[in-house]
Amino acid sequence: MKILHAFIFALTIAASVAYAGSAADAPRTISQPASASAEDINRRWMMEGEKRYRTNCGRCHQPPHKFQPRVMATAVRHMRVRGMLTDEDMKYVLYYLTH
Amino acid sequence: MKRALASVCFVIAVCIGLTPLGTSQETADLRAAADEAKPIPILSGGAAFVPTWDSGDPTLVSIVSPVLLVPISRNLIFESRAEFEGDFVRRNGNSGDFTGAIEKSLEYAEFDYIGNKYATFTAGRFLTPFNIFNERLYPNWIRNTQTDPLIYPIGTGSDNGLMVRGGVSLDPNVTLNYAVYFSTLSTINHLESERHAGLRAGLFFPHHRLEIGFSEQHLLQDARINRVGSYLEWQPARVPLDLRAEGAHSREEGDGLWIEGAYRFRNAKASLLRRAQAVARTQVFHTGTVAGINPDLPTIDTKRTEAGLNYYLNDGWKALASYGKTFTAAGNSNIWTVGMTYRFVIPLGPAQ
Repeated sequence: MKILHAFIFALTIAASVAYAGSAADAPRTISQPASASAEDINRRWMMEGEKRYRTNCGRCHQPPHKFQPRVMATAVRHMRVRGMLTDEDMKYVLYYLTH
Repeated sequence: MKRALASVCFVIAVCIGLTPLGTSQETADLRAAADEAKPIPILSGGAAFVPTWDSGDPTLVSIVSPVLLVPISRNLIFESRAEFEGDFVRRNGNSGDFTGAIEKSLEYAEFDYIGNKYATFTAGRFLTPFNIFNERLYPNWIRNTQTDPLIYPIGTGSDNGLMVRGGVSLDPNVTLNYAVYFSTLSTINHLESERHAGLRAGLFFPHHRLEIGFSEQHLLQDARINRVGSYLEWQPARVPLDLRAEGAHSREEGDGLWIEGAYRFRNAKASLLRRAQAVARTQVFHTGTVAGINPDLPTIDTKRTEAGLNYYLNDGWKALASYGKTFTAAGNSNIWTVGMTYRFVIPLGPAQ
């Protein structure tokens, strides 16, 4: 039990440091001009999708290559449940993997 | 215990309640764009052939594990995984033919309904969400070290019942994920389940790629024991390193900890080396107050350290080899593994 207590203590410290670091370092969301073109939006969604894909998929396994769009549509729903992706993560990752 | 469980559920509910509501036009556009691809059923899974020499005795571990994913509607999906495992050992210990039965098991068969952005409802047979190894890292093609952690039998397996789970962004820096479940007793062959109530909650810091969490489980039958666990997962953005650790405690069964690091040589100059991954894991287990209550756990205090190499031949094939040493009061022993794993994905319909 002492080992587990020490482990939980270390996790608490890690979480505190991570949160403090995130709050200081996190890039702020850049608001887009109302006139942003479809191409700008597509580029932004693709970048955000790739970022979330690399952040989330590797938590469980080596990030896979892209499969066909309809296969990815199923696989991402599986990841939503198993990997506990947020709704927003799922949409960005699916957009990235199917466009 | 029940009060603690209720408190944590309350905290999760408050956290979810405090997250911003509302859907912007852009979010609706993103959903529409992402929904252009209609999901189809797929047959996925993995196969592994991992001969293992434990204390000099060889076991030919052969596993085929198909996963079926069937989307029923946009928010409802059926998932199932079976496992066929043959652990073939020599008739006379270290000589003679290899022999053994093939064990069949239904690891999960569940309906998942994505109710809203905060909650997914699961009904059926599911993998027990105690820590992360059982749910996320168990398949041979995923795990970095092929042997099971010593504490793996604590609180894991499959359960028949109901579960609510989800991942919620609390703010851009933190994501909360949770699973709350209740399972019922079943003694049906291949569908065995214990009566449990439990939860797992984790915080994921996406900018640091760090996740920490804890698990709690109450056995509502027989010995009525409590189990608690905690875990960590860290993948630094600038270094191709996977660092994972889990701890578990049950007064009656015992407690232990494992920590594993896996470094992928992604930045190596030689392209052949970029597919290689060095792995090391060390772990400790201390027995609990009731000897033999969980027959899958070691019967004496045990330490084990392993190191190995994985080589990703392509997206589906992985070659592996590892060496480890087990330390106990009854003596030390070596454990070797070498083998191959394969992951497949087969669309069961028009994929374009």
